[in-house]
Amino acid sequence: MKRYAYYQSCINEAMTKEVDRSIDLWQHDLGIELVKLHESACCGGSNLDYVSPKQFALVNARNIALAEKLGLDLIVSCNTCLMTIRTAKKKLDESAALRAEVNEILREEGLEYRGTSDVRHLLWVLIDDVGLDVIRKKVKTPLSKLRIAPFYGCHILRPSTVLGKDDPLEPTSLDLLLDALGAKSIPYEHKNRCCGFHTLLVAEEESLNVAAEALKEAMDEKADFIVTPCPLCHTVLDGYQSKALKKNGVKGSIPVYHLSEVVGLALGYSDRQLGIKRHIVTA
Amino acid sequence: MKPFDIVIVGGGGSGLYAAMEAMKTNPNLNIAVLSKVYPNRSHTSAAQGGANAALANKAKDDTVEMHIFDTIKGSDYLADQDAVEVLCSEAPKIIRELDNMGTPWSRMDDKTIAQRPFGGAGRPRCCYCADKTGHTILQTLYEQCLRKGVFFFNEYFALDLSLDGSRSRGLIAMNMKTGKVEAFPAKTVIFATGGYAKMYWNRSSNAAGNTGDGQAIAYRAGIPLKDMEFVQFHPTGLRKSGLLVTEGARGEGGYLVNAEGERFMKRYAPEKMELGPRDLVSRSLETEILEGRGFDSPAGKYLHLDLRHLGADIIKSRLPQIREMCMYFEGVDPIEEPVPVRPTAHYSMGGIDTDNFGRTIMEGVYAAGECGCVSVHGANRLGGNSLLDILVFGRITGRAAAEEAGKFNPSAIPASEVTDKEQELRSFMQPRGHYERYGTLREDLGHTLGANVGIFREASKIKQGIADIESLQDRFQHVRVFDTGDIYNTNLLQVLELKNMLDLSETVAEGALSREESRGSHTRTDFPTRDDEKWHKHTIYTYEGGRPKLAYKPVTMGRYELQERTY
Amino acid sequence: MSDSTIQHHEESRDVTFRVHRFNPQVDSKPYFDDYTIKLEKGITVLRALGYIKEHVDSTLTFRAFCQAGICGSCAMRINNMSKLACTTQVWDELDKAREPGVIKIEPLRNLPHIKDLVVEMDPVVGKMKKYSNWVDSRMPEEEWGKKEFLVSEEEFQAYDKATDCILCASCVSECTILRAHKEYVSPVVLLRSFRMNADSRDGIHDQRLAGLVQDHGVWDCTHCYRCQETCVKNIPIMDAIHGIREDAIERRGTKDTSGARHAEAFMDDIEKKGRLVEATLPIRTNGIGWTLKNLLPMAFKMILKRRTPPPPPLVKASKGIQSLRKELKEMASHVAKDHEKKSGE
Repeated sequence: MKRYAYYQSCINEAMTKEVDRSIDLWQHDLGIELVKLHESACCGGSNLDYVSPKQFALVNARNIALAEKLGLDLIVSCNTCLMTIRTAKKKLDESAALRAEVNEILREEGLEYRGTSDVRHLLWVLIDDVGLDVIRKKVKTPLSKLRIAPFYGCHILRPSTVLGKDDPLEPTSLDLLLDALGAKSIPYEHKNRCCGFHTLLVAEEESLNVAAEALKEAMDEKADFIVTPCPLCHTVLDGYQSKALKKNGVKGSIPVYHLSEVVGLALGYSDRQLGIKRHIVTA
Repeated sequence: MKPFDIVIVGGGGSGLYAAMEAMKTNPNLNIAVLSKVYPNRSHTSAAQGGANAALANKAKDDTVEMHIFDTIKGSDYLADQDAVEVLCSEAPKIIRELDNMGTPWSRMDDKTIAQRPFGGAGRPRCCYCADKTGHTILQTLYEQCLRKGVFFFNEYFALDLSLDGSRSRGLIAMNMKTGKVEAFPAKTVIFATGGYAKMYWNRSSNAAGNTGDGQAIAYRAGIPLKDMEFVQFHPTGLRKSGLLVTEGARGEGGYLVNAEGERFMKRYAPEKMELGPRDLVSRSLETEILEGRGFDSPAGKYLHLDLRHLGADIIKSRLPQIREMCMYFEGVDPIEEPVPVRPTAHYSMGGIDTDNFGRTIMEGVYAAGECGCVSVHGANRLGGNSLLDILVFGRITGRAAAEEAGKFNPSAIPASEVTDKEQELRSFMQPRGHYERYGTLREDLGHTLGANVGIFREASKIKQGIADIESLQDRFQHVRVFDTGDIYNTNLLQVLELKNMLDLSETVAEGALSREESRGSHTRTDFPTRDDEKWHKHTIYTYEGGRPKLAYKPVTMGRYELQERTY
Repeated sequence: MSDSTIQHHEESRDVTFRVHRFNPQVDSKPYFDDYTIKLEKGITVLRALGYIKEHVDSTLTFRAFCQAGICGSCAMRINNMSKLACTTQVWDELDKAREPGVIKIEPLRNLPHIKDLVVEMDPVVGKMKKYSNWVDSRMPEEEWGKKEFLVSEEEFQAYDKATDCILCASCVSECTILRAHKEYVSPVVLLRSFRMNADSRDGIHDQRLAGLVQDHGVWDCTHCYRCQETCVKNIPIMDAIHGIREDAIERRGTKDTSGARHAEAFMDDIEKKGRLVEATLPIRTNGIGWTLKNLLPMAFKMILKRRTPPPPPLVKASKGIQSLRKELKEMASHVAKDHEKKSGE
């Protein structure tokens, strides 16, 4: 059983509880164990670093240091948390002065940021550690009848200087996973595009246009559903779907699944077990 | 339609500077800048090195006098000394002015503008912004013109001066986006369209549009050109594109190697080897190719610039841009493979004959920058003086036009000139039995110029070149424009550009034939030495009966006597 | 040295260019033309298009000028990504082709189309003007040319990379928000605004900043980083956008725009709970009126599905909140000291 520290994203604690619920169901099936870091704090979204760069470094140095204390890599299942914490890690790794300043404060809590734990997305763990061959063998209910539109979201890809796992504009990892699960992933342009989440409250009109375009393309390509590794993308594409489509005069609807749910489905768990019924748009 | 006070043709460094200075001189003037590309696209952006000015930031003992002398000597004594004095004494002021308006100059520790050494200069006086000096100057000037509300006509292609007898009354131009021919009545016109070295086509480092449009229009309208035979060649152009691999590659220790695997520079410059002066190295490469020691390929004969022995680390750390260029444009990684190179036409010293204020012999018509010939570069331009030239004389010309615009009261441009021109352009689109493609003609022109009026010239070859150009002019009569639409017709545009290059190539070749000496960039194998007694004079070309008629004009001397040019 | 005598024997093959065609004068709608030509390895996409124009179909229309990656004329979408045709090797694109041997060529997006691969650039220039993308010198024009400004190397470094921009508009073409709303300021104009605001010679910093925080300005960026990944000069455009936001919060406070209020809410929540209080985020960003109007209809559905974020009192504070609060407070004192030092300089 390979162990990891698991970062609890705010959104998965509040609105998209089904993500952690489904991971809990199947993690042992795939030989991994995610240890939840209850003491971690909000990463600051993609906002904190320009409100206060130093607080941003501090909060995330602490998040990583909690994992380092356990000697484990930090695993994240929200794209923006991933990008944000990795950005902080990059800044900390590049600046001895910043590291020293942060560590001086963290010392009181018995923590130290050393840079020894990597920060990775759950998707990367599935591909690089568990392995596609193993996953292929464990599949109980192959998704072979399904045409799935993979929607990567931005912050698992870009900036490539911070993420670097996939090609920032021609990603393949999610497609490879879907293939291992027996599904057909369809090529479509929006798979590497933005969902609009981060301007939802600031420029709603723009956000909804962005989301509608992605949804429409997936529907036009006759996808059975969209799958995304990011709960923020899910919130827009599922939660705001009817509003976005209505505003853009598009008829119909399309379900949106989390990566963790699709893995669960292939491993033989039911919709109900995985929490899929909690989605706003249901099949 | 009320005439413009000033119509500026060309939106590069000199055109934009002229516009800005004219607005500063008299904010009430009605000024238009016409450019066939968006101004920020102009070829000024390609100048990497910098602009010379005796600021004495780096070498405290540098003086304007020294800059003047270096420039005159570099010109092989063909530059007009009064003009050079203007160029060099205005230089510090113009560099500071660019700083004051926001050009991001590189800086020294004391926060003043940084300067570096450059070929042919006695002191480090080249002001720069990393390796993007021309680009940042052009951006700054464009930004400042936007700030001042200069009126731009972007993507307009200038066609003709409109003449009232022997005087100009404005310009006829084509709006690329609509295909419409439009009249621009103007009290004054400034040509600032850049150089003509693209006539060497695939053997040129120039932008596709450096086709000498301003020179050709002025020339056909009866305005004389000057010193057209002087075209500067750079030794290391990429084989396929002619684009430059800068001198830095040899500076870091790159070898030039022929097909026999020999570092041939040892036979031409045993001490300096690859780092000999630019014209000498160019001549050496050309000799190797002519004597059969070059490599052969569908894209032409070439030699190798070998950097591999420098190792990946040095190439990556010190020559990253050069490596990128080789990969982008030649598909060759210099870490793995030698780079295919051959000399490439780079800069035109000649241009529209002007006085020190950019005035031509035609009242109200001016020229500035590489388009004009004041002359400050004579037979050979010094590195770092081309940006300086466009800035200094762009400004002077802009001011002169602004001050003098009130003197002229042009008549209206008759509507028939516009309709006639439209007819003429349409005629290129008529189906005809036998037709020529402009692409072939353009390549043939570049080829014959490179082979016969290139680095080495001799009477028999130049005559061959002249005959080839004549036959190309005949073939041009059959060129067909296949795109019959109005909107953004680049097919038509490129045909018109080809015509400009063809007309100007006659002056280059005729000038090269007549000048029976070797001076600066002009090397005659049949007249290998400089002949001051016969040829210390400018060549002047006037368009008569469809051909260039040559005359000569003395060089303005000053305090510097003729000397042999040695380094 | 011996192998530098080996001649270049280059592979060649047939390549198909599938090019977007549209001439509004004659075509009712856009279509694709396939041109198959034999090419030698090492050729760029621009030279291939040039060959097609000169020898196969002279009506094919695209912009090109310097052919050396510095003028920015030939930006177009090649295999679904905006880039310069002149710096793109055909062989590299063959590797990325969805259909073997076929390279797809389309015009830039998010700009009005003119013909084939040519788009209108005036909107970009218009926005440069709207956001004063120039240095408005602190020195009166009459004084120009007399003495240099003194500029430190650090300051030069702050905008050095930004001045690499060649206005090719690749970032404009790939921008997510511009695609959703054409009034949006655009990445290139944000980059240039940042560059101007970082220049000590400029005198209209605050005025420019005031424009940038308005609607369709800097807060509308959705951080998708596409601009940065597509930039042909590898300019970190998002750093510039973040730089403007940081500057806006520092100079204008966090109250004046929804974007700034939104950003500040994160800081507040982390300090109070160590977690984001999502339920009240809309109210704190846009006020109660906006929230009721925009989100209430959705809230019912969410409640039915038990997807609503818990109200503030029910958001459990992170377990380590006590130590976190203390640490944040300590860091705040560091930041205050930094500010003192900076303003003392």
